[in-house]
Amino acid sequence: MILTGSKIKEEVARGTIKISPFSEEQVNPNSYNYRLGPILKVYKSFDGEKSLFEEMKIPEEGYILQPGQMYLGHTKEIIGSSTYAMSLIGRSSMGRYGLFLQVSANLGHTTSEHQWTLEMVAALPIRVYPGMIIGQVSFWCNFGAIVEYGGRYGRLNRPHESFVPLD
Amino acid sequence: MILTGEKIKEEVANNKIEINPFSFDRVTTNSYDLTLGETIIRYTSKIIDPKEKAEYEEIIIPDEGLVLQAGDFVLGHSAERIGSDYYVPLIHGKSGTARMGLFVHVTADLIDIGSHGVSTLQLYATLPVRLYKGMLIAQVSFWVPFGDIVLYKGKYQNSIKPQPSMTYKDFKYDIFKKVD
Repeated sequence: MILTGSKIKEEVARGTIKISPFSEEQVNPNSYNYRLGPILKVYKSFDGEKSLFEEMKIPEEGYILQPGQMYLGHTKEIIGSSTYAMSLIGRSSMGRYGLFLQVSANLGHTTSEHQWTLEMVAALPIRVYPGMIIGQVSFWCNFGAIVEYGGRYGRLNRPHESFVPLD
Repeated sequence: MILTGEKIKEEVANNKIEINPFSFDRVTTNSYDLTLGETIIRYTSKIIDPKEKAEYEEIIIPDEGLVLQAGDFVLGHSAERIGSDYYVPLIHGKSGTARMGLFVHVTADLIDIGSHGVSTLQLYATLPVRLYKGMLIAQVSFWVPFGDIVLYKGKYQNSIKPQPSMTYKDFKYDIFKKVD
């Protein structure tokens, strides 16, 4: 089952969902609109094993994402839940501009809680602004016992490149 | 919980799910197949700025089809009007179109409960692909909500063709608020 906006508000008040900062006007009928955080990592090169990124702060006048590149951004909000699983996706208004907010990895594990890294791919050149509402997260009921998330990404608050080359 | 095809049929009959036109043979085990409507939108602005209204052209898909090149991004729409005040719809590609390298949405698969209209498809081609009106292109599944329902009253309600993004209308709602 997917939580309605009213239920998301209730669970934030109860503390079983963490969204910080939280604003009621960003609640949708069945999701919550998240904002783009200020830090962006821009791909520079590939060293044969891993991609190297350069970190920048998105200026107030915005930054243009170019097609064919992948950028690592992050949510402004800390998002997590002790009780529900999450799906972090773009919002339709950004999808209508051709902006991917992740690369098929939408699933957020129960008990992870952090500012999510966004894998941003633009189909068209698009200007993004720090703090703009850019995507949405939905919350889903679990079925079965919950074992706490033990991964490396679920506590990171800054955009973080993949750990895979280190494994 | 996700509805089965049998439950989708029941809820269409009960008017709890809107799919129009509706055909029994498009019901799958867990979804309903959507076909491509005739109108396509292609942005003509060189750079998209969400604070401004983007320029675009509307194209009617000709009978011989419309070719998207690899890297092309356009908006299409489902020929069907869909929506529900009781379940949450999710849009998916069909494996047949996905195998041609065609995305039908750009991570925004979730439809708000209470939203009704044709569904705008975000078509992104990774290989050249020819689109025909009426072709099977996507599927919609329906999910059970948990909690009190407040219906969608947003800016894309009752769409009859693809709707370009209207983020510029959000400006007054502080959508671009500065980060601390």
